[in-house]
Amino acid sequence: MTPIDRRILLHINWSLVGLTLLLFGVGVMNLYSASGFRLEDGLSLNPFYKKQFLWGLMGFGGMITFMLFDYRHLKTLAVPMFLVTLLLLLCVPVFGKVIYGARRWLDLGFFNLQPSEVAKISILLIGAKLLSKGQRPLDWLQLFGVLAVGMVPAGLIILQPDLGSGLSVLLLLGGLVLYRGIQMRVFKPLMILVPVLLPMSWFFLHDYQKRRILTFLDPGNDPLGAGYHIIQSQIAIGSGRLWGKGFLSGTQSQLRFLPEKHTDFAIAVFGEEWGFIGCMFLLSLFCLFLYQIYLTAHDAKDRFGSFLAAGVFFYFFWQILINMGMVLGLMPVVGIPLPFISYGGSATVVNLSLIGLVLNVSMRRFVFKRA
Amino acid sequence: MAAQFEPEGQAPPRFGLFLLQALIWGLFGLFVLRFWYLQVHKGEEFAQKARDNQLRQELLHAPRGLIRDRNGVLVAVNQPAYALGLIREDVRDVKATLDQIAVWTDIDLATLEAKYAKGRRRVKPFEPLILVPDLSFEQVARIESNALFWPGLEIVVRPRRYYPQGPLLAHVLGYVAEANEEELEKDPTLSLGDNVGKGGLEFTLEERLRGAKGLRQLEVDATGRRLSQHVMRPPRAGEDLRLSIDLELQARCHEMLEGQAGAIVVMEPFSGEVVAFVSQPSYDANWFVTGLSGPQWEKLRDDPMHPLQNRVVQSAYPPGSVFKLVVGGAALVNGVSPSERVYCSGQVKLGRHIFRCWKKHGHGHIDFLQALTQSCDVYYYEMGSRLGVDKISEFAMTCGFGHKTDISLPHEKGGLIPTREWKRRRFGESWQGGENLNLAIGQGYTLVTPLQVARFIGALVNGGDILRPTLLAGGEPERQGHLPLTDAQRQLLVRSMVETVEQGTARRLKRRDAVIGGKTGTAQVVRLKLKAGDVRRKLEEMPYEERDHAWLASFGEKDGKTYVAVCMVEHGGHGGSAAGPMLKGVYEHLFGKQK
Repeated sequence: MTPIDRRILLHINWSLVGLTLLLFGVGVMNLYSASGFRLEDGLSLNPFYKKQFLWGLMGFGGMITFMLFDYRHLKTLAVPMFLVTLLLLLCVPVFGKVIYGARRWLDLGFFNLQPSEVAKISILLIGAKLLSKGQRPLDWLQLFGVLAVGMVPAGLIILQPDLGSGLSVLLLLGGLVLYRGIQMRVFKPLMILVPVLLPMSWFFLHDYQKRRILTFLDPGNDPLGAGYHIIQSQIAIGSGRLWGKGFLSGTQSQLRFLPEKHTDFAIAVFGEEWGFIGCMFLLSLFCLFLYQIYLTAHDAKDRFGSFLAAGVFFYFFWQILINMGMVLGLMPVVGIPLPFISYGGSATVVNLSLIGLVLNVSMRRFVFKRA
Repeated sequence: MAAQFEPEGQAPPRFGLFLLQALIWGLFGLFVLRFWYLQVHKGEEFAQKARDNQLRQELLHAPRGLIRDRNGVLVAVNQPAYALGLIREDVRDVKATLDQIAVWTDIDLATLEAKYAKGRRRVKPFEPLILVPDLSFEQVARIESNALFWPGLEIVVRPRRYYPQGPLLAHVLGYVAEANEEELEKDPTLSLGDNVGKGGLEFTLEERLRGAKGLRQLEVDATGRRLSQHVMRPPRAGEDLRLSIDLELQARCHEMLEGQAGAIVVMEPFSGEVVAFVSQPSYDANWFVTGLSGPQWEKLRDDPMHPLQNRVVQSAYPPGSVFKLVVGGAALVNGVSPSERVYCSGQVKLGRHIFRCWKKHGHGHIDFLQALTQSCDVYYYEMGSRLGVDKISEFAMTCGFGHKTDISLPHEKGGLIPTREWKRRRFGESWQGGENLNLAIGQGYTLVTPLQVARFIGALVNGGDILRPTLLAGGEPERQGHLPLTDAQRQLLVRSMVETVEQGTARRLKRRDAVIGGKTGTAQVVRLKLKAGDVRRKLEEMPYEERDHAWLASFGEKDGKTYVAVCMVEHGGHGGSAAGPMLKGVYEHLFGKQK
C-alpha cells in the first residue's frame, strides 16, 4: 500500500468535502422538521434526525477509510468483492429478515446488513475495472459482457423485492457504459430495441409496482394510495411558493397530510418550508456537488480512477433525478431516496463512503504515472 | 518502455466527460423549470389548497340488495340510520369529546373509550371512527345543534337493514349485525361499524347482497368543515333477490304453528323452490340489527323453546313411520314382491325382546300397499330383518338422507343414517339384529330434517329427481341425484300415500277436488319408557318433553299444480292429529277452500 504522502493530503478536494457537509447538514435539519408530527396531545418528535446524525458520523468514518489507501488496489479487489456480493445476495432469500413484507436484510447480530447496498459498491468497482480496459467504444460482445455481469445481482435484488435498488444497480452500470461510449453500429439498433423490449419488463413487475406506474399516468386512479402521495407532495411543494413557509412551519407536513415524509418524500417537506429559493439553493448544491465529481473524473490520472468517479457520479445522478422526479410528479413512484436528504442508515454510510472514494481519486491526480 | 506510454490510453473518454456535463445541466434545467412551475407559477393555487382546504376521501356506503317474496312483496329493505363518527385528526381533545358523547347518548364513558382505543388502529387518517352505530332522532338533533363546538364529530348516514315482516322470515333471511373483530380482520373492505349478514340468506348470499362501497373526494378546511365534494366512484348497490317464498302462505303456516315448536316446509317438487319455510318459535330479526342488550340476548339464547334454532334444516329428528316410505322403497328394489303378504299378530319376538305393532291386536295378513297405508309395524319389522342395515342405509342415502340438502343456509344438518361402520366408530359396538327392526320403522339412531323429507317426497312425485331445494325464485332446478327406483316402484309408493289419505292415517287431508297423498309419523322421543309391557299413555298425561314428535309428509296436486308439504311438530303427539290440520290449512291456501 502506498504510504500516505503529505503532498497527497494537500490535494484533498475541499470543495467536495464542503458541499457534502452542507448537503448532509441540510438533510439533518430537514429531518428535524419532518420528525415532528402532531399527536392528539401536542407535538412530538421522532428521533430520526438524531439517528441520521449518528449514521452520518459512521459515514464520515467510512469516507476517511475509503480515502486512505491507493484506489488502484481496488482493481484487484473488484472480482472477489463481486463474488462475495453474489453470495450475500443469494443468502438473502434463505436467511434474510423480512421487514415490511420484503426480504432484504441479513441479520449480522450487531446490525442489519442490506446486501443490495454492498452490491452498489461492487458493481461500481467491477464496472470501472471492466470498462476502463481498452479505449474504443463498446461493440456488441463487450456490451453484452458488461450487461451480463450487471443482470445477475440486479435480478436478485429486484426479486427481493426491491425495484428501486435493482434499478439503481442497472442504471449505474448503464451510466458507465455510456461514459465509455458505444459503437454507432451498436447504438443505433439499441435505440430501436430498447423501446420495444422495455414494455415487456411490465410482465415481471409486481402488482403494486404496476399500480404505481398506472397511478402515475392517472393519479386520480388511486387517490388513497400512491396517487395520494403524488397529489399531497405536490401540494406541499407548491404551497411553499417563492420564499417558503419557514422552518418547522410546513402545514402540510406537520399535519400529517404528507406520507413518508422522512424517507422518499423528504424533499417535499423542504420545498414547503423553504420555497423556490430554498429549492434552488439545494438544487445548486446538488449540481455543484455533481460537478466536483465530474472534475475528479476529468482530472483522474488513469482511466480506472476516471471510471470510478464517473460511476459515483451516476450513482448520485440517478437517485437525484428519480427521487426529485417522483416527488415533483414527473415520474412514477419508485422507492429511491434522495441522497443526504432522505433518512436511511445504510444509504448514508454508503453515500459518504463513495464520496471518500472520489476524494481518494481526486487527491492522487498528480501522482506520477508509472511507465 | 517509453514506447508503451500511450497518453490517449490513460485519458478519460471525451464523449463520457461531455455526457456528464450535459447531464448536470439537464438535471438543473429540468428541476428549475419544475420547481418554478409548481412553486411560482402554480404556487398561489397550491398555497390556497394547502391553506384552507384539504382533499380527503370518504367511503360511500352501498345499499344492501333488497329482498322480495315470490310475489314482489318487500321482506328486507334499507332505512337510513344515523351513526356518530369521530375524525380523530380534527378532534382537539379526545377525552373531553368522549365525555360529551357519553352525556348525549347515555353510553358510559368506559365503553366509548374502549371502542375508541380499539377503533383508532383500524381507521385511516381522516376516516370517521364509528363510535355509536345507531342514534335516535333526539340524539341526532342534540348532536347536530352542538356540532360547531365539537370539531371532528360527524353524523354519518348509512343504510340500515329493516325486516318489515319481523319474525315471519327470520329463519329464512337471518339478519345483519355489526361486523365483529374477526370479520373485520378477514375482510379489508369492511370498516368499523359496518353490518354483515350473520345468519340465513343474509349470511350465505352476503357477497351478492353487499355491493361495493363508493368513494367521494371531499375538500375540507382546517377545522374539518366540508367545502366541496365530488363522487369519484359511485357505490354499487347489492343485488336484489326474489325469494321463492309465498309470504301469505308463510304467514298462514307461521300462525298455525304459533305456540308450538315445529316446522313446516312447502316445496314445488319440479323446481325445488321452497314456497313456505317456517320454523317456530321465531324471533324478530330487527332486534339484532339495532343490537341486542345483554339480558335480551340471554333471554333469547336460554329460551327453552330455542327460537334461534332453525327447525327446518338445523334440527334432525327420528322420522318415525314416515321412514317406512324409504324402507318400502328399499324392499321393492331388493326384490320384495308387493303382493306378498306378511302376517301381523300385533307383535314379533326376536330373542328376548318383543317388538310390538302400534295396533295391539294386529293387522292380520297384510300386503305391501296395506302395510304402508295402515303403517303396520310388524310388516316393516319383517322387512328390516330381511334387508338388514346395509341395504336400508344404502338406499336411504341414495334418496338424499344423511346428507345436507345444500339449500343456501348456514349450519344445516345432514341428519344421520346409521351404518355398521358408524356404530362401531360411535359406540365401539357391532350392529345388533334387533336394531334392524327399529331402523325399519324409523326409530333408533336415524335422524332426518324436515327439508330432507320434503326433498324425498318431491322426488317421489316429480319422477325421481332429487332436486336441490332453493329459497330463490326463478332459477334452474339443480339435480342432486335420482331415486334408485323404477317408475312402477315409485308410483306404488305414491299410490300408497294417496291411499293413506283416502283411508289410512292421514284422512284429515282428504279433498274431493285434489289428489292428496300423505304419510304420518310418530317419532318416539323416550324409547325406554315404552318398553315391552308398557301401557301407552294418553298424550295429555305425558310430560311435554316426553311426548312424541308428530310428522306428516304429503303432496298435493290440483289443476296441474303440485306441491310437497311437510310438517313436523315437536312433542306434538300423533302425526295425523297434530300435523294434519296444519297441512290441511296449507292445501286450503294453495288450492282454495273445498266446496
